[in-house]
Amino acid sequence: MLKYFFKRGLGIIPTLLCVLLFLFSLIYLLPGDPASVMLGPRATPAMVAALNKSLGLDQPVYVRLWHYIWGILHGDLGESVWSGHSVSSLITSALPYTIVLTLSSMGLAAFLGIILGVLAAINAKTIVDHLVTVLSLIAVSIPDFVAACLLLLIFAVRFRFFPVIGGGAAGNIADQIRHLILPVIALALGWLGYIARLVRDTTLEVLDMDYIKVIRSFGAPRRYIAYKYALKNAIIPVVATIGLGVGKLLGGAVFVELIFNRPGIGKVITDAVFARDLPVVQGGVLIAALLFILANLVADLSYAYFDPRIRYE
Amino acid sequence: MTQEKVSLKLPRRWDSYKRKSHLRIKKIAQIIRAFRRQPRGVIGASIIAVIFVCALFSPWIAPFDPNEQDIANRFAGSSPEHLLGTDYIGRDILSRLIYGARVAAVVSIGSIGIAVLVGVPLGAVAAYNGGAVDYIVILIFDVIRSFPSVIMILVLAAIFGPSLLNIILILAFTSFPAYGRVARAQTLSVKEEEYIIGARSLGATTGRILLSHITPNILSPIIVLAGMDLAVMIMWESALSFLGLGVQPPTASWGIMLKQGYTYIETAPLMIIWPAIVLITTMLGCSLFAEALRVALNPMEREPDE
Amino acid sequence: MNERLLRVSDLTVEYSTRKGIGLALDNVNLDIREGEVLGLVGESGCGKTTLGLSIMKLLPRFGKIVKGEILLKGRNLLDLPERIMNKEIRGREIAMIIQDPMHALNPVFTIRTQITDVLRFHKDRRFDPHGKQVQLKSEAAKMLEEVGIADPAERLTDYPFQFSGGMIQRVMVAMAFSCNPSLLIADEPTTALDVTIEAQILELLKSLVKRNGASVLYISHDLGVISEISDRVAVMYAGNIVEYADTALLFENPQHPYTEALLRCLPGSEARGNRLGSIPGRVPELTERPKGCKFNPRCPYVMDICKERPPKLLEIASGHSVACFAREI
Repeated sequence: MLKYFFKRGLGIIPTLLCVLLFLFSLIYLLPGDPASVMLGPRATPAMVAALNKSLGLDQPVYVRLWHYIWGILHGDLGESVWSGHSVSSLITSALPYTIVLTLSSMGLAAFLGIILGVLAAINAKTIVDHLVTVLSLIAVSIPDFVAACLLLLIFAVRFRFFPVIGGGAAGNIADQIRHLILPVIALALGWLGYIARLVRDTTLEVLDMDYIKVIRSFGAPRRYIAYKYALKNAIIPVVATIGLGVGKLLGGAVFVELIFNRPGIGKVITDAVFARDLPVVQGGVLIAALLFILANLVADLSYAYFDPRIRYE
Repeated sequence: MTQEKVSLKLPRRWDSYKRKSHLRIKKIAQIIRAFRRQPRGVIGASIIAVIFVCALFSPWIAPFDPNEQDIANRFAGSSPEHLLGTDYIGRDILSRLIYGARVAAVVSIGSIGIAVLVGVPLGAVAAYNGGAVDYIVILIFDVIRSFPSVIMILVLAAIFGPSLLNIILILAFTSFPAYGRVARAQTLSVKEEEYIIGARSLGATTGRILLSHITPNILSPIIVLAGMDLAVMIMWESALSFLGLGVQPPTASWGIMLKQGYTYIETAPLMIIWPAIVLITTMLGCSLFAEALRVALNPMEREPDE
Repeated sequence: MNERLLRVSDLTVEYSTRKGIGLALDNVNLDIREGEVLGLVGESGCGKTTLGLSIMKLLPRFGKIVKGEILLKGRNLLDLPERIMNKEIRGREIAMIIQDPMHALNPVFTIRTQITDVLRFHKDRRFDPHGKQVQLKSEAAKMLEEVGIADPAERLTDYPFQFSGGMIQRVMVAMAFSCNPSLLIADEPTTALDVTIEAQILELLKSLVKRNGASVLYISHDLGVISEISDRVAVMYAGNIVEYADTALLFENPQHPYTEALLRCLPGSEARGNRLGSIPGRVPELTERPKGCKFNPRCPYVMDICKERPPKLLEIASGHSVACFAREI
């Protein structure tokens, strides 16, 4: 298992390098002169020159590249063109919100999804099954931002149950949770439908397998099969798609944060994109990509943990 | 003993093509039948048909011009004249929805088309040749896929500016690796099949093998993937337009309508509900269609109750 | 030793398929005595596996027992609720070995987990909570050793895909006998194995059966194996038992036309240089079974009555029953 871990761990390095290079070269992709683009049409030549200097644009590419990588390794992601704050501080203050949102959604979706999926499979072809299937289908067809808007409309505007905006007062867990509920539901909905469907289909397949018949022939109670024997097999595809899920959820988090006006990486990046604040965009995207790659790595490793056949390939 | 002169009369290309076409048509008819047998396929196809009809014939179907303002009549509820009400500057919501279907259709078909045309040959050639080519192509795929697509799309949209063409290109760019990977995986598994070795030993060139033998076999999963992507691309178009990074107002797009509805969420909930319903229904239809397609194309699919 | 262990009466099983409903088993009657090996022979699709599954009440979702009784030591299994079946019958009184060893075990659990879990289904009373896990593990290792698996303690931590087909069948045999069942249902246990491995597994089965005094319902399409291992044989065709006799009687003096034809198909039964025997026609589909005797379209002795009514299984000599109008006279 450890050997597999190292192999996979090392495998992400080339990808990381390419990500870095791509982000680095972003600045050159901007049409026109980067500095003036960032500062807008009212920038004076002096301001443009100053920005160029601080961004290191007046130096040759390889020098810049070196400074860039050196900076990253030391946690220095540059400074925001807009606010002057360090990019890292911007990100570190926003990151926890996004991580909490994403993990909570993932947890909710996985937990409910597995339960509903197994329930549907065990009661195949009954009302329960049809209900779960139809609801899952609808849930998957509701994009995150639409769900967020609708939830906002129904529960915050119409019925005033939940707060409309914000992330909640810092340090006040209860308040934070209150502000978390609607966004988490909005974000988790689509993924919940997907997992429920996936678990249902997989469990049905598993229940048709010979080894289920065999274990039943030895007198295995239904509970044992549902909660231990077949469950592990059914969870495997869920684990395998967690990487996909995190990507989707991180993406959806951007919209949810926007709609509910929550602090988070998504908000940081989108604000920076509109303000043409390149260092923030670079840093934010780097962290987001890093999170995503890490999540995929964890997903791969969990997959190998659950399905031992993978380890020996 | 004299050797008999054996004259090999090879069938002309056209004859073999004609014969194979007959088989192909039969196969397609089979697939269509398997598709029609599923209720979800019929429902999905109907929904998609409605959307595409709206897209194609919007000027004739829509009761109003989508940009026609009627400020005095804004925020109106549904009425016989404005079946779904009006928006914040009095434009007819129904007409805007109908015209919005155009954008959805163009973006989805365009981006999927380009992604397939770029990704599939890339993946197939990479798998077939192997070695360094394969490694580089996979690296490209992995790098693109290693970004959460949202971030990637946002950043690219921000750099290159919002416009219809740009969205199509950006969406194609983020999705072609998926097609490439599928094409590559399929090619890998087909490559070692015996009939390929047979064809090669008969002197078939790489190009011919790729075209005639490998392509038909990888078509099915690609079609299925494209079907599933239909809903995704439509969603992306609205998502980007919602953020202001897609088509620009005054063009009618479901995403823009949602954004405007969001802005007026306290005053006019209808502005957001109707586009939401249309978008959800469309995506539902596409998903059903894709599911039915997947089952119809896979000869081994059965309902697990036999 | 002559006590009747299992009696199946008028068992009828329906399968619902896309093409309609068909009878997988049609009024099947048989019994198995204590300590005997009953061979069940027939081609694919004749219902022999269905019979085995019905006895365990493990039919797939599209199957239903619509009529009949299955009496195990006097108790009708069809009356028992699932809970009792699991607790007292399955893996206790009756155990089963299936045909395909490669899919018989769950690929994501170790051999040890699967064996100890099975042990736990029935024997947890035997071990105190304190030393529970350890006891089961050594028990599992002992079981593996008994069936001839080398390095049993190490093999316990392996996963099924690391075992060969023959080894998995040994494990299945061990698990089946671990609860000392009165009846073992062996559904073509050696069909998927090489001939040499097949011989080993058969020997293993024979020795364990003898040691435990269990009865066996040995299902196979291989007449050679059946003749070697069975005390009595039942021949099935399209859901019916067509002939039922002591092994020697069946092979020396087959009465049913189908049995005759089957024996003729065996290589070696024809003179050297002659064509291998075959039976004209083919086995009818589940939903397209002919009226009357199901074999009548292919039978060389067919009479009018064969197309009207199905023949009953009648004893025509001591220890020899056959269902055929042509032999009824």
